[in-house]
Amino acid sequence: MRRWTLIFLLAWCAPSQAEPVAVNKTGDMLQALDDLALAAANQDLSLVKMQPIDTALAKRGYENPHIRILFLGSASAVRWAEVVEPRLLNLLPLRLTLIQREGRVTVMSDDFEPWLREFPEDPAHQMLLAWRAELKAMLDDFMRQ
Amino acid sequence: MKQRIQQVFLILVLAWLGISAHADEPEPMLLSATAQGKNMDQAVFALGQAIVKHKYSFVRQQAIDARLVPYAEEVRSVRLVYFCEFAKMDRVLRLDPRGAQLMPCRVTLVETPAGVDLIAVNPAWITQNIPTLHGECQELKRDYQAILDEASQ
Repeated sequence: MRRWTLIFLLAWCAPSQAEPVAVNKTGDMLQALDDLALAAANQDLSLVKMQPIDTALAKRGYENPHIRILFLGSASAVRWAEVVEPRLLNLLPLRLTLIQREGRVTVMSDDFEPWLREFPEDPAHQMLLAWRAELKAMLDDFMRQ
Repeated sequence: MKQRIQQVFLILVLAWLGISAHADEPEPMLLSATAQGKNMDQAVFALGQAIVKHKYSFVRQQAIDARLVPYAEEVRSVRLVYFCEFAKMDRVLRLDPRGAQLMPCRVTLVETPAGVDLIAVNPAWITQNIPTLHGECQELKRDYQAILDEASQ
């Protein structure tokens, strides 16, 4: 009986976790934004918008989550998606989430895994892999600064 | 006593199977609605009204390639509308910071010869493997669909 109860509990707690591309380094939000701007330029990506979730919530009386979102992209990615798979326009512009905690800033991309599973065939799959690789290269550059 | 325990265990297993079967129902990737006969400006206006009616705040709208090409060359047939609800945003971020990938809420509007398609990524699809956020995102999905349906009337 106890064995079955254990199996039941393990099965209940088993769901897998999705993990996006993420890096973190010492510093504050403003320094991280500067470094990301430079890393984006090095990858021929343009900054579209910075969404200050932190100040938006704090000025309305909520706890400051120390989170900002950076939207970035390229015209070629938009044209590519229009031709290959217009549903993937929903991923553009690409996004990075910045989280500041205890003197470190974590930068993470959106999770590409559900999209890669949904589009298992080329050229859409290849396009998603290319976008993820572009973001990873940018984050590697960010870490080197 | 043993029989009673077996009965309770059987009930628990059946309940779990029921929940699992429901949880395994695949979520659609996209939520959508079509505003038949409307042009882009009319659809954006209707969407703005639906957003406010459902107690969300309009954040901004832009072309899909805004700031990637000169303004005069921006695509006119694909626009993005962003909106949010601050209390929900606060709640989701307290649950799991990965919820930031759902923020702000977004609808993509695509003009077609028949009207304007309003498309949103289903937040419940995004969080299928993030148990901490999935419940909250079911509610968010219902809000999205209600807003899309209202804006497409």
